[in-house]
Amino acid sequence: MPGLSLAASGLRLAFAGEGIIDLPELTLAPGTLTALAGPSGSGKSTLLYLLSGLLRPDAGSVTWAGQDLARLGESQRDRWRRRHAGFIFQNFHLIEELSPLDNVLVPVWFDHVSAKAARPRAIALLDQLEVPQRRAHVALLSRGEQQRVAIARALIGDPAVIFADEPTASLDATSGQTVIAVLRDLALGQGRTVLVATHDAALRAQAGTTVLLEHGRTRHSEATA
Amino acid sequence: MNPFPIAWASLRRNRFTAILFIAIVALTVALGIAISAQERALRLGSARAADKFDLIVAAPGSHNDVLFSTVYLDPSAVPLLDPAITRLLLEDDQAEFVAPIGFGDAIGDAPVVGTTAAFVEHLSGGLAEGRVFTALNEAVVGALSPHAIGDQLEVSHGHGGATGTDADAAADAIAAGAAVPGGDGDHPTITITGRMQPTGTPWDRAVVVPIEYNWSAHGLGTGHRPGDSHIGPPFDPDSLPGLPAVVVKPVDVAAAYGLRGAYRTPQSTAFFPAEVLVELYALLGDATAIMSALTLAAQALVVAAILAGIVAILDLQRQQFAVLRALGASRGFVFATVWVYVAALIVTGAIAGLLLGWGFAAIVSELLANQTGVAMRAEIGSSEFRLVGALVALGLLLASLPAVLIYRRPVVDGLR
Repeated sequence: MPGLSLAASGLRLAFAGEGIIDLPELTLAPGTLTALAGPSGSGKSTLLYLLSGLLRPDAGSVTWAGQDLARLGESQRDRWRRRHAGFIFQNFHLIEELSPLDNVLVPVWFDHVSAKAARPRAIALLDQLEVPQRRAHVALLSRGEQQRVAIARALIGDPAVIFADEPTASLDATSGQTVIAVLRDLALGQGRTVLVATHDAALRAQAGTTVLLEHGRTRHSEATA
Repeated sequence: MNPFPIAWASLRRNRFTAILFIAIVALTVALGIAISAQERALRLGSARAADKFDLIVAAPGSHNDVLFSTVYLDPSAVPLLDPAITRLLLEDDQAEFVAPIGFGDAIGDAPVVGTTAAFVEHLSGGLAEGRVFTALNEAVVGALSPHAIGDQLEVSHGHGGATGTDADAAADAIAAGAAVPGGDGDHPTITITGRMQPTGTPWDRAVVVPIEYNWSAHGLGTGHRPGDSHIGPPFDPDSLPGLPAVVVKPVDVAAAYGLRGAYRTPQSTAFFPAEVLVELYALLGDATAIMSALTLAAQALVVAAILAGIVAILDLQRQQFAVLRALGASRGFVFATVWVYVAALIVTGAIAGLLLGWGFAAIVSELLANQTGVAMRAEIGSSEFRLVGALVALGLLLASLPAVLIYRRPVVDGLR
């Protein structure tokens, strides 16, 4: 699926009366890998939640391919994420009691899609990402393999946009490099829009653009690759 | 939308807590089921036991005492029926048969009851083996008696230390200057000639002798003229002693009510066992209703406590639910997942409780049957299903509470 373009402007989110996100403008093009960088507490994750519709801004717009998430209700934003977005987390957040395959199928269970129909795609994704599927429980996989299961889960709905929150922070260097390569392929190879909150210099180095945040504001935006 | 795999995964994650919750629900339900099923088994068993005792005529006094001593062979002090009343009954053409009942002796723990061959046939519906007694020192045993045909047994006076009937008889005898019943009487050895079919009453453990044996053993004659050694009716009207009770089989329903009315006199009382049992059941019913209400309240409290525990457990899983929301799950999906999780615990517990309660009731029934001799069988009926249904319905309704609490939690709080 081709990526979606983002045009966010005048984005503000106040928390307990203190402005924590104040972003005049941010644009993303399809087929790009963009890194959100900055020190801890700078608002990287919060911005990711705003841009994915998990949070609604106090002011401003978050427009993905002409659809402003800031104007949508919660259930509509849920539906938008289901249709267009995939999420990857630092700690994977897999369900340990389920197999790798079932973890990939989790988004299918809450969508109006047949799990039977989605199964071949889930198997193909795990094969592509070189995850051993025979392990009964995902907890038996290595951390790198678990993150690749999480990536497959994010991709099961063939999303146009991928949000990743510190996807390499819990991994060793080798596994981190594999994940970076996958993210780069999703953006540059497959044309998806990939937005990553990260501290990882290696990942930033592979991103086309890095947006540096400080106290919820853009310090600067730079082309990095 | 399919919330079951995630709910199942949550149950597996917290399997020990889940098993504990299911066990608590099951035990609570089982308690209610056991009380309800056992109470019904007791009613049915005691009512069936009294079926063959159509109309009981006794001296004025407690109907309960007469019923318990006559039907359930529970030794208690009852006054003796005036022989004049027995004479009238024996001559009454509204009675198909009149069976004098006498107590006061025992063989080991088994009561020795005196009556007529006709009543043995009526109660047992024909013998299982052997023949009915035809001589004073012959006896038949109940279906559960350990004694065999041909056994010769020594009869001892009294019953388990309770000799109330005889104590009254003795007091009457002393007052009349006559022989003390049981004190002066002879207790000849008896020979078992037959075994009754199961009756579902304490008579199944009894040794049944001719009423003449009972009278004779207590020094009260035989109910016949001296030298007349035949057993059973007709009795000599002038030789009849007092009796704790007489069981009358009326010729028809109208006769039953007629006899009941006719023998409610200053010298006697007549009653259907059912009317006494109905009064007892009313009392028992009130107690059961209170116990059932208390049980239901306890069940509701248990469910509430479990729900509180579930909220705490699910709170630990808030990150998982937040992740599901981030992946696009609707609030409805999260609600359904939590609801299925809670419902699975409650429904499983309730079903286990139903089976466990039935098991408890069956064990208690067996113990009570062994203790009382009244055959009873606990069965799960519609009232038990209604009780479990009410609890499950309440549980499923209350299951919405943790579901709503998790459903309302902000997603981002769970992700941080």
